[in-house]
Amino acid sequence: MPDPTEPIAVLSATGLSKSYGDLVALEPLDLTVPEGQRLVLVGHNGSGKTTLLRIAAGLLEPSDGEVSIIGSPAGSLEARAAVSYLPDNPVLYDDLSVLEHIEYVCRLHEADDWQTRAVGLLDALSLTDRADDLPSRFSRGLRQKTAILLGLIRPFSLLLIDEPFVGLDPPGRAALIELLDDAGDSGATVVVATHQMDFVSRAERCVALRDGAVIFDGPPGQVDVTTLAG
Amino acid sequence: MVGAEGGTLARPADAAGPVRGGTGLASLAVDAALAFEPATVLKDLRATRRRRRIADFDPFEALYRAYLTGITLSIGVLLLSGATGDTKVTGADLAAIKADGGAWVGLAIALAFAIGLRSGGRGGPLVVEAADVRHVLLAPVDRSVALRGPAIRQLRFLLLAGATTGGIAGLLALRRLPGPPAGWVASGAAAALLAVAGGFGLALIMSGRRLGRWVGGALAILVLAWSGADVAGHRVTSPATLLGRLALWPLSVHPVDLVAAGAALAALVGGLLLVGGTSLEASERRAGLVGQIRFAATLQDLRTVIVLRRQLAQELPRQQPWLRLPRAIPKSWLIASGRTHGHAVPATASPRGRLHTRHLPVWRRGWHGILRWPALRLGRVAVLGAVAGLCLVGVWNGTTPLIVVAGLALYLAALDATEPVAQEVDHPDRAASYDTPAGELHLRQLGPPAALMVLVGVVGVVAAAAVTGGSATTWQLGAIVVLPAAMCALGAGAMSVIKGPPPALSSQAVIIPEAAGARAVGRLLWPPIMSVLGVIPVVAARNAAQHGQPIVTAAASVDQLVAVVALFGVAWVRYQEDAHRWWDSQVAEAKNTSGRSRPPVSRAK
Repeated sequence: MPDPTEPIAVLSATGLSKSYGDLVALEPLDLTVPEGQRLVLVGHNGSGKTTLLRIAAGLLEPSDGEVSIIGSPAGSLEARAAVSYLPDNPVLYDDLSVLEHIEYVCRLHEADDWQTRAVGLLDALSLTDRADDLPSRFSRGLRQKTAILLGLIRPFSLLLIDEPFVGLDPPGRAALIELLDDAGDSGATVVVATHQMDFVSRAERCVALRDGAVIFDGPPGQVDVTTLAG
Repeated sequence: MVGAEGGTLARPADAAGPVRGGTGLASLAVDAALAFEPATVLKDLRATRRRRRIADFDPFEALYRAYLTGITLSIGVLLLSGATGDTKVTGADLAAIKADGGAWVGLAIALAFAIGLRSGGRGGPLVVEAADVRHVLLAPVDRSVALRGPAIRQLRFLLLAGATTGGIAGLLALRRLPGPPAGWVASGAAAALLAVAGGFGLALIMSGRRLGRWVGGALAILVLAWSGADVAGHRVTSPATLLGRLALWPLSVHPVDLVAAGAALAALVGGLLLVGGTSLEASERRAGLVGQIRFAATLQDLRTVIVLRRQLAQELPRQQPWLRLPRAIPKSWLIASGRTHGHAVPATASPRGRLHTRHLPVWRRGWHGILRWPALRLGRVAVLGAVAGLCLVGVWNGTTPLIVVAGLALYLAALDATEPVAQEVDHPDRAASYDTPAGELHLRQLGPPAALMVLVGVVGVVAAAAVTGGSATTWQLGAIVVLPAAMCALGAGAMSVIKGPPPALSSQAVIIPEAAGARAVGRLLWPPIMSVLGVIPVVAARNAAQHGQPIVTAAASVDQLVAVVALFGVAWVRYQEDAHRWWDSQVAEAKNTSGRSRPPVSRAK
């Protein structure tokens, strides 16, 4: 029987591995991320960060092992309701405006009171003047901001973000850091894969991967993460 | 849960997520009472997107496209109709068609089923937009609901294409076979519709149940083998054969064929019910690749289409080659010099050893590439050779249009076989770093593909011999045709690969812009035409046989012309770059000359 005083494991991976033929993307790993934790994933290119996040989001199927999100298998209906995943490349509809994106994402996720939050997020990400425009005409940075907005506006318990700072200007980065802090303060579990070292220090826990294996797991202050992040 | 009430980790609404003070965004006037019902949301989403597309719709552009499609289809039907002839089949031939025609049509339908099974094993046939994967399929909505719409839209298009193809086949059949015209068109269209429905349904079942590529491949082979056994044994046992017989109902009606029709529809219904189980990983991979394939196709970039299609089919080179050729650089040298990459030849290497290891590097590189082909590609090339051989048997027996199929089969095989050249063309920077002219290098790279294409031709001859009982005529004709046909197809493949996509109109182009369309069509069509020309000697031999003349002499005389075409291809590969360079320099020089001789323009008014 689980101990009621222990924090709930929002993300739990057991013996998780992923390989493509002979290529091992992720060695068998065990990882538990409790509720409300801010975790940062670091590692060289190809170390397995994106693979881990995509498996947790339900986009990839593990070759072996299990991943559960608040007790439900990754990719299940319940897990999809709890996980918000922001990939490193923003994928948006070419023929929907930012507002239309917001509307449909919120309706698909049964978000309440999303109009108020939409106004706030548009303002925070400096997208208010572009809300009626098609993202297909946006720059990389604006598309990234739109994707961030869509990831944050819907309800979630676990936020998985892959390289969110790529393409953002300094004010955009500052706004994103503030939004991630807000999400964490609200009780959400936040997992960020990044090479951005100034963000690592804001996390409570750092997991470093190399060649698909965990080589460090602990508070960011305990190790020189620049050597781990590559 | 941040941003919502309820749920396992629910938070009070006032603590919800990254909420900021609003700025009073006036345009955000969406009805807060909008439904959360997934089906309704998805319907609204599609409707909004459709409205946007309709707003950008250009009716004149659409009409022009419809006009072009109609004209092309009409010309195609007329050409096919003329080639089919209008002499009615009677007597023993008609009896043979009644007895075995269904099995042969069934084999084609089995091919559709096999394609479906294979596609389903790899996560197909659905092509979902990347944005749908990210926003809809990752949302907490029933994936069956989310995917059924795209599946039905894709099915609708395939059914239309199938019905059109089947109807045209019926039109062509009625020119030579007895029966009511409406009956032929209807039965052809119905059989094609059911073939599409069955193939699509099987694919959806495979992907929905995630049975995997090996199961998909094995079932595809099983389906083809079953229909092949029906053809060989003159039997009607497989569902595909029953459907094939349905296409021939104007000749004789067999109510039992409807059982197969029911099975095909059941497969479709089953597939649509199971579609929600489709792997998201496969859907995302297909979404990206299919988008790129469509873009490459619009640019007529055949090479890119081939490469992306291989990725879509997960047709990757083998880690270990089937047969390892001796190393160009002996391993002992690498160990002795402590280097495993770059220019590892040590200074102490003997001149003899150095000379020996540099022997025929292009030839070795070509074979290395081919020896890393996956079994699937080797099998496909062999099957294409066999198809070419069987089609030429059909040509010999009087069905002349099959010569196009034979030529195209060899052309497709050549597109695979010319991979060593294609690899070089894909990396122009590397080729530019060699001290060998590109034309000479490409020509040398055609060595292994040439040997391979001759083997493909031999497979075709063996297949032809298998169905003709190994007659002396088959072997004689095969011996005469195989080399020029293989070389023509190879030249055609190499041309397609080296040419690449058509360039945009340049200011230096001498050709008038109005002729650019015709030029583009010629550029696209010439390689397949060249490949078809390679098998023309079979028609000459057949005509000679019909007039009681020696077939070998007739085929050999046409062979000389075919050899000229093949030589043209070889010369093009070797000298096209030099010719283009010379031409460009001439155009540039002519422009400079005319610029110098033109009197200065006075801007003073």
